[in-house]
Amino acid sequence: MTETLTSKKLAITFFFCLLALVVVMALCAVVGTQKISLAKALSGPADTPGENIDYEILMGVRLPRVILAALVGGALACCGVVLQAILRNPLADPYILGISSGAGLGAIIAVLSGLTWRFWGGSPIAVFAFVGALITVWLVWGIGHLAGAGKSQVTTLLLAGVVVNAFFAAVIMFLTSIAKSDQIHSTIFWLMGNITEKNRSVLLVSAACIIAGIIALFSICHRLNVLTFGQDQAKALGVDTAVTQITAFGLAAFITAIAVSLSGLIGFVGLIVPHAVRLVFGPDHRRLLPVSAIIGGAFLVVADTIARTIVAPAQLPVGVITAIAGGPFFLILLAKYSRKVSWLK
Amino acid sequence: MSSIIKVENLSFGYTPQSAVLKNFHFKVDRGAFVCIAGPNGAGKTTLLNLLCGLLSPNTGYIEIDSEPIGSYSVRKLAQKIAVVRQEFVPVFDFTVTETVSMARTPYLGRLGFETKPDIDIVKEALQITDTAQFASRTLATLSGGERQRVFIARAFAQDTPILLLDEPTSLLDLKHQVAIYDLLKTAQRQKGKTIVAITHDINLAAQYCDKVLLLGADRNYRVGSAENVFSTEQIEKVFGVKTFTGRVGQEKFFIPLGKFAKDCPQIYKNFNSGMQK
Repeated sequence: MTETLTSKKLAITFFFCLLALVVVMALCAVVGTQKISLAKALSGPADTPGENIDYEILMGVRLPRVILAALVGGALACCGVVLQAILRNPLADPYILGISSGAGLGAIIAVLSGLTWRFWGGSPIAVFAFVGALITVWLVWGIGHLAGAGKSQVTTLLLAGVVVNAFFAAVIMFLTSIAKSDQIHSTIFWLMGNITEKNRSVLLVSAACIIAGIIALFSICHRLNVLTFGQDQAKALGVDTAVTQITAFGLAAFITAIAVSLSGLIGFVGLIVPHAVRLVFGPDHRRLLPVSAIIGGAFLVVADTIARTIVAPAQLPVGVITAIAGGPFFLILLAKYSRKVSWLK
Repeated sequence: MSSIIKVENLSFGYTPQSAVLKNFHFKVDRGAFVCIAGPNGAGKTTLLNLLCGLLSPNTGYIEIDSEPIGSYSVRKLAQKIAVVRQEFVPVFDFTVTETVSMARTPYLGRLGFETKPDIDIVKEALQITDTAQFASRTLATLSGGERQRVFIARAFAQDTPILLLDEPTSLLDLKHQVAIYDLLKTAQRQKGKTIVAITHDINLAAQYCDKVLLLGADRNYRVGSAENVFSTEQIEKVFGVKTFTGRVGQEKFFIPLGKFAKDCPQIYKNFNSGMQK
């Protein structure tokens, strides 16, 4: 990318990516174990429920699930982009600051306590996971700041994240080992990451939050560019680093927590998608973030389609597919582009 | 001539017990080329960080363009001062154009896209610094000298009256050292930029700058013309190394002498008198 990025060029790129996402989503909505007739499904709802099954499957089951996958995938990819930039570390992913273990701990506590209420259509697992994730990020951020007042802040933050993750992982294992076996299955399934049907209000509220969060992140993308050069240089270039960092961390933690409460821990998307997009489109965050959102969404939609069809009628956790498919795919990209990427040398 | 940088009665220490700078006064005239020299740990980079607002003084105050430095927002200060740091390779693979374009950050609107005038300024900076030829390459593929020129291009594109540089030539060969200083001198003369550069090369400093600040590890300092400040006694005292001072026409030059260089003074004396004739 030799030329300076303009809003017009970005709009064109974004439009074509969005088009591709819509096509992928449409295709994946049609594919499934239960064959549906597209003509019949698109003919609209029948007068009596249950008469036009094809329509109900498409609109009531497949489409919400495809939209959910696109949302979660986009959210995780964006948070990966942002955390890699803020921590100046290509290995960062949305879970690096303790979100995974915090959410996992919340989820397992919810399972063990045997709660059954529902909150805005969310199960106790989702609510506890969301709260657990946010508390843990706040904890990690606090420890990181307490320990690293000064220049090595980024490193101490990473270390705090790793340590808290390890500690909570141990607590999770402890709780799992004393839990009854019938409780364990739902916890493990949740920990592996899962896209399941959600009711409409949950979907709408989380979609609004995630999209608003991504738009807010987009508005600080030019500052993220400068921040990857380090705090000193960013300040010299007129970026209020503290404000930018807190905004980025806060938004990324919030979006990830929503994604986690929707679908558990889906690995690899937040790590691989930003890298793949960076290899093809370059590191400019003003393009990297929106394109990653779309590619991340498309990637998870495809992965989820595979997860629900490959061992039909059973379903795999989508996290298994993202890891199995994502790893080799990333290696191919790496082999092809690695000579152009400095940190691999 | 008015001073664009004014430091008065400044004291700064990283811990309360040890002051790096003490009762420090310093002025830089608008459009001047000032070099800061001194041994390691004398506080050169600390002073630079104070001047660009990265550190705050314990006591005393700093004025940039007649306003106290604290009254500037980060963004406004970045429109006054550009900083070039020592050799640096970024984490992600930005191209030269992308890197230099970031200089426009303090002028961008809400969404942060460069406008046509921004792009023109970036192009001009690439041209002046002779970096346009590798504009589409990534920073990691450049040599140290090329990369340093890119960061100087970025500082030019930031379009600030003041340029602060921390050892801009520390890793460069002789040709590139001179090239960088020529570039800075040209910017000073043609654009009226005020340049403050930290350097370990007192020969280059003496050649290019209007004024030098010599910081000692003992917290004493001297300010003045290179002719006055860089005397054999001063340099030997401040750097703690025996030095031979020669002269070619108007230009003074200094050669540090190690313990294995016993015969050198005589040789240089002969050379010197030969040149004088």
